[in-house]
Amino acid sequence: MEPLRVCINTQTPLLQFPPSGGQPRPLWTVERDFAKLHAGVDYQFSPGGVTRMIYPLARRLLSEGVWKEVHWVSLNPNAPEAIEMPGITLHNVSIDRDRMGGYGKVKETIWTTVHGLNGPRLSADLFWTEDYGEYTYYNRTTAELIRRLDESFDFDLFYIHDFQQLPIGHMLGTLKPKVFRWHIPFDAARIPEQWRSVFSTYLQAYDVVIVSADRYRTALRQFGHKGRILRLYPFVDPAEYNRPPEEVVAQTVATKRIFPEDVVALVVARMDPAKGQDRVIGALARVAKSFPRLKLVLAGNGSFSSSREGLGLSKSETWRQHLEERARELGVSDRVVLTGHVTQHELDCLYERCAFTILPSTFEGFGLVVVESWLHDRPALVTARAGIAELIEDGENGLLFDPDDPASLVRQMRRVLRSEMTLVPRLVAGGRIAARRCTIDAAARAESRLVGEAVEA
Amino acid sequence: MIDLTPFLPLIYFGVILLLTWVFSYVASLVIWGLMRRSNPQVTAAAQRLGVVIVWLVGIVFAVQELGVGVDALLLVLALLGVAAIVALRQPLENFGSKYFADLYTPFKIGDTIRVGEQSGKVIEVNAMSTILLSEDDHLIALPNSIFLRESVVNLTPQAWKELIVPITLPGSVDLPSFESEMMKALSHLRLRLDRRYPPVFTLKSRSAQSTDLHLTVMVRRPEDRDPVLAEVNLRLTETMERARGSAVRPMAPGGPAEAHP
Repeated sequence: MEPLRVCINTQTPLLQFPPSGGQPRPLWTVERDFAKLHAGVDYQFSPGGVTRMIYPLARRLLSEGVWKEVHWVSLNPNAPEAIEMPGITLHNVSIDRDRMGGYGKVKETIWTTVHGLNGPRLSADLFWTEDYGEYTYYNRTTAELIRRLDESFDFDLFYIHDFQQLPIGHMLGTLKPKVFRWHIPFDAARIPEQWRSVFSTYLQAYDVVIVSADRYRTALRQFGHKGRILRLYPFVDPAEYNRPPEEVVAQTVATKRIFPEDVVALVVARMDPAKGQDRVIGALARVAKSFPRLKLVLAGNGSFSSSREGLGLSKSETWRQHLEERARELGVSDRVVLTGHVTQHELDCLYERCAFTILPSTFEGFGLVVVESWLHDRPALVTARAGIAELIEDGENGLLFDPDDPASLVRQMRRVLRSEMTLVPRLVAGGRIAARRCTIDAAARAESRLVGEAVEA
Repeated sequence: MIDLTPFLPLIYFGVILLLTWVFSYVASLVIWGLMRRSNPQVTAAAQRLGVVIVWLVGIVFAVQELGVGVDALLLVLALLGVAAIVALRQPLENFGSKYFADLYTPFKIGDTIRVGEQSGKVIEVNAMSTILLSEDDHLIALPNSIFLRESVVNLTPQAWKELIVPITLPGSVDLPSFESEMMKALSHLRLRLDRRYPPVFTLKSRSAQSTDLHLTVMVRRPEDRDPVLAEVNLRLTETMERARGSAVRPMAPGGPAEAHP
């Protein structure tokens, strides 16, 4: 197969740029060449799946000659029109702040509803609101930019990532192959009746829909989607994960109020109710007396949506305040550390320093942090409501719990805290094997095959 | 003093052409005003027809002023017209039927329909015929004129709910803004529409001059089809006016057909 010219579309941009409000004029406003910009000064990579997954995949497929050129379109109001990286051109979509607010509300409602945080009845009329007009505006503006780029570059494939961009395939109105990655959970029962026709119409526009777990494939089929559905596990590039030496780890974590005598339980998740950090604080309070050295570290802050450079939604700060209050109420505030944003190096140190990790989400598309935990040889306690739960054999490569059953999490925490000599080594060894299914090597093979089939079909 | 007498016929000729241009412009405006609640494409077609008729009459009068006998001209034109109609009756009928069937026949590609003894899934509608795929995998070509003569039964579930409104946007209109404003406008009709099926715009074709779209809405009750269609058309026209930043300019006489939704 000839190398492909691909258009990637994500809501979250690969790069974020500091606001241009101050003086002097930032370099990114005048410079298109990525090589001339400075990391941490002129730009930073967006946290999350776009940087962790899509970017490494694009680089890998470019280096292997499967793709020859990538044009990547994202929402990035505070950014230059385009930035040139080797093999990849980033195109940024900008819309007015007013429209951004309406768009943000709609996509947030979709997200919370799909994650079960809104009852279906509450959000039933979402597509009849004026805000939906702004959601449509954003997606159509993006589709129009992609269409214009297609006229210039004649793409072989459109790779659309995640639910915010769902209408794009339909809006493009092209017969060229279109792949859509639905990256969040899918449960047909949570989709309001009033949304079904819109979802069906938009999903049908794609040649292939990729989901992150077998359960979502089954749910999408039950929903009535007749097109092709593939399950591809999300992935990380192990080469990106360093294991810093002990003394570096000790120095780094000390700045986060983590001391040598602490036994650390680590939760890596953005500040969001769906991530379920409150449940772990509750569980900590119940085991605190039995394990007086146990400390809970909550690493992460908001997403692109809640950042000032992004959509400006304030949910992360609200949730953080709620968690602090909850810890105070339960008398464990001295045992809970909220780190806020951490750099990759700090995150590596936290993984190295912790005794185990917990993924407590009430509903989680996949749960790549479990894979990260495995790459650092740390056992993981995993919510049964995460896509990755289907890779977990309880007691072999992880410990499963029901996030709505506090006793279930407490039981698993006690299990791992008391059984270090026998259980932990088994979980670590099992995790190492399971992690191989979620690496970029496995993903690149699967994605190349998929893309080849989509294009040749 | 220059004697203009020899030039009078030419002057009258010019004046009549000028007046014809003015009349055709006014006719276009009047037709547009009368048909605000009709489908914008039908309105545009009616405007074109009106403009052509005014120009034909104007040209005949103008030529008369030059001293040319127009009786023979009119006779030749009429005979040519009759001959063309007789010779091309079937294709013209199919072609014309296609135009009206597109707008008024309640089916679309993908629907399953029955016409007379034939039934199948509509897989193509071209200028001359509509192609069905029968259950036993046979292709059936139905001349388009049949849809204006025979009863058509749409067997697709809930087909009665569906209203498909074709829209042609001039290239000067910003599609995202237009679509966004229409979605907001249509949200106000939600009591008359089936809330399980929010409006969807589908891009049909695109060029530098224009964009062809289909707007699909689903009515809640069968008796709402006509009033909802009229209301949708009105809101389309209003949104178009706002999108262009000024009142809709009627099509310039003899000008391109892109000036209207």
